[in-house]
Amino acid sequence: MSFSNFLVQLGETVQAESGPNLAYLLRPTSPHGKDLVKEFRNPTRDFLIERYGGSLESPWDEIAVQYVLVTSHVARKRAGEAFKEQSQLISQFFRYFTSNTGWTLPALFSMLRDLRDLAYDADFHAKYNGQKSECMESAAGIVAKAFSNCMTDRTSSYNDSRRWGIYYVVGLVLKCYFRVKRISLSKNILRALNANPDVPALSLYPRSHQVTYRYYLGMISFLNEDYAKAEQELTLAFYHCHCGAKINQERILYCLIPLRILRGHLPSQELMQRFPVLNELFAQFISAIRVGDISSYDAALDKWERKLVELNLWLTLEKARELCIRGLFRRVWVAAEKGTRIPVSMFHCSLRISGINVAQDEAECLVANMIYKGYMRGYISHEKQMVVLASTNAFPRLADRPAPYALL
Amino acid sequence: MSSSASTSKPADVSKPAEQPKEEAAQPHLGVLEEDDEFEEFAVADWDDSETDLAHLNGSAPGVAKSGGDKLWEDNWDDDDIEDEFSVQLRNELAKPKPSGDAMQH
Repeated sequence: MSFSNFLVQLGETVQAESGPNLAYLLRPTSPHGKDLVKEFRNPTRDFLIERYGGSLESPWDEIAVQYVLVTSHVARKRAGEAFKEQSQLISQFFRYFTSNTGWTLPALFSMLRDLRDLAYDADFHAKYNGQKSECMESAAGIVAKAFSNCMTDRTSSYNDSRRWGIYYVVGLVLKCYFRVKRISLSKNILRALNANPDVPALSLYPRSHQVTYRYYLGMISFLNEDYAKAEQELTLAFYHCHCGAKINQERILYCLIPLRILRGHLPSQELMQRFPVLNELFAQFISAIRVGDISSYDAALDKWERKLVELNLWLTLEKARELCIRGLFRRVWVAAEKGTRIPVSMFHCSLRISGINVAQDEAECLVANMIYKGYMRGYISHEKQMVVLASTNAFPRLADRPAPYALL
Repeated sequence: MSSSASTSKPADVSKPAEQPKEEAAQPHLGVLEEDDEFEEFAVADWDDSETDLAHLNGSAPGVAKSGGDKLWEDNWDDDDIEDEFSVQLRNELAKPKPSGDAMQH
C-alpha cells in the first residue's frame, strides 16, 4: 500500500467512523507499515508535513505522518525514537478524540497498547546498555491523560460515549504503574474514578475490562493489606475470567489462594489439579493445615521462602500458620475426647511432639492467642494451668468467623 | 517493535550470574515470576459459560462447598485422623497427670 493510498483509506475510515479499521490502519505491525518503510527511506517530519500536510482534515494528516515515523523507527529497531513518535501520534489523536464520540475507542486502546509495548522495549534496551530511560513513566502519563479524556465526555449519547473506554484505560494505567513499581500513584486515578457518579457500572463493560480492573484493584488492596477488599475483588476477577486465559487465572489465584486460606477456604483438589504450578507451591501448606502439622508447614515456609518473598506472599502465609496451630490444638481436644478441661501441659506436649520446642508459658500464650482470635472458645485458668473450653462449638469452623481478616 | 514485548523479553540477559547456588536450591516454578504481567485478553467479551461462573448454578462466586461451589472447601475438620501423631498424643493423655504445675520438661 502506498502512502497516498493509506491517506485515502484513513480518510474513508474516519468518514465511516469505523473504530476497528482505524486501529488496524494505525498499528505499526500491520502489513502496510512495511510498505511505508520501503517507500520512505529516511522520512523526516518536516518533509512529510510539507508534502502531505492538508491532504486530510487536521489532525489526521499529522497523525498519518506520525505513523510513517513510528513504522520507520520500529523497522530499524529504535524503540526509544519509536516511543517518542508514538507519543506524538497519540497527542495529535487526542485533538480529535476529545471533540468526538467514542467511535475511535478500539483505535485508542490499540495505540495505547503499542505505546506501552514500545516503552517496555525502549526501557529494556536502555537498561541493557546501562542507560537511564523512563519511557514507561511517560507512557503512564499519556495513558492517564487518555483516562481523563474518556471521563470528560459530557456530550455523546450513552451508547457512543467515550466513557466506555474508562475501565480498559484504567487497567492499562495501573499496569504501567505496577511495571515501574509506583503503585501509590494509582490512588489519584482510583479517586477520580470513584468520585464521578456518571461512570456506567463496571458490570456493563466488556468482561476483559472488568477482570483486568478487578485484578489490579485486588492487588493494590492486597499490597495495602486490605485483605477483605482484595479477596472480594480477586474472587470476582477469577470467576469472570475466561477459562482459556490460563495464565491470567493463575496470576489471580496465586494471590487469591492465600487470602482464601486465611479466611478458612482451602482450594479443592479439583481446583489445584487445574493449576499444577500453583499446586506445586501451595500443596504442602494446604495439607499441613488440614492435619495441623506445624513442622511440615514450617518446612514449606522454609522451602519456598525466596519465591514467597518475591511474590509478596510471605507475610500472608506466615499469618496462615495460625490455622495450622488451630488444627493442632483441635486434635488435642479430639484426643481428649472433646473434654472441656484440658491442661495447658497437653497443648505444650502436642507442640513438642510436633517438633516445636517451646516453654510451657509460651504454649500457654499460644492458647491465649487462639482464644483471643476466636479460633477456640474458652478461657485459661492460669493458676491451675488449665484450659477450660466451651461445651459447644469449642473450635468454630474457620469459615464461620465473622471478620476473618480483622485480627491478623 | 514487538507487540508481544512483555512476553518476549530475552530470558535473563540482564541478570548477572549471581547466587547460582541458591538459585539451584530454590525449587523452580514454571510460570510465576515477579516480573510477569497480567496479559491482554485475546477477546474483549465472553459469556458466563466460558467462565468458572458456569459450574456455580447461581450461587455466589467463592461460597465454597457448603454453598455449592466445588472449588473451595470450607470444612476439613476431621475427627478420625489415625496417624502416629494421634497415637503419641493419646499416650501422653493416658499418662498420670503431674499436679498441674509447670515443672515438666
